[in-house]
Amino acid sequence: MAGHDSGSQHQFTGFQKYFNSYTITGRRNYVIATYTSIAMLILYFKLRPKKKTPAVADK
Amino acid sequence: MNLSFFDQFMSPHLMGIPLTLLSLLLPTLLLPAPNNRWVTNRLSTLQLWLLNTITKQLMTPLNKKAHKWALILTSLMTMLLAINLLGLLPYTFTPTTQLSMNMALAFPLWLATLLTGLRNQPSISIGHLLPEGTPTPLIPALILIETTSLLIRPLALGVRLTANLTAGHLLIQLISTAVMALLPIMPVMSTLTAMILFLLTILEIAVAMIQAYVFVLLLTLYLQENI
Repeated sequence: MAGHDSGSQHQFTGFQKYFNSYTITGRRNYVIATYTSIAMLILYFKLRPKKKTPAVADK
Repeated sequence: MNLSFFDQFMSPHLMGIPLTLLSLLLPTLLLPAPNNRWVTNRLSTLQLWLLNTITKQLMTPLNKKAHKWALILTSLMTMLLAINLLGLLPYTFTPTTQLSMNMALAFPLWLATLLTGLRNQPSISIGHLLPEGTPTPLIPALILIETTSLLIRPLALGVRLTANLTAGHLLIQLISTAVMALLPIMPVMSTLTAMILFLLTILEIAVAMIQAYVFVLLLTLYLQENI
């Protein structure tokens, strides 16, 4: 809660340098990535073209 | 006169004029105004001691930047204390039993703490949505859980105060009705119920003070995370 995390002694490389659950920037990036994925999912389902069903002729 | 048990929670009106604003402002009339004497009377000294104690208690865990909130938090605490305690008197209306009133207090203040954090230290505020050391597979779920817990805070703040005070007032009314109903039939039971009522009243006085303190304390905790 109050005070900063002690993630400064971790030496991360590669993907973990930007996305880890120890440094504050790593945690921030994970949160932003999660929110962005959810937003992309919602946008995809909203904007995908709706399938048109052909009209059924009554006999 | 037919009184239902919920009449005490109806907003007061006098000939169509709503009195809710008056019921919020009038408790301040009970507080002595400071004068320009160096040594004031006992009541003023007591009030000053109380205000200083409240301010010190709330502001000690906060850093210097957060001390700008001292006035609003102390005045909120004083108002809630006065309203809650005065509501325990018979035939008085307690504004803090209204959910609308408590949400109107909780939501803007919580939002202010959130926006302060997002404005002054956005990375740290956003980063706090993921607890440190979370195992990788749990990260998305935990972010959603922490977001939900963050968004539910104003609701919890408002409902906690409303529910505690409403439940207490209702209990007092029910048990006092039981005492009066039992008095002609079973006087001994009525006496026992009256003793319970006495203990309940003491509890309600404590709850009134504690709930006011908890409301403001939680706001200072939310502020602590964000400032």
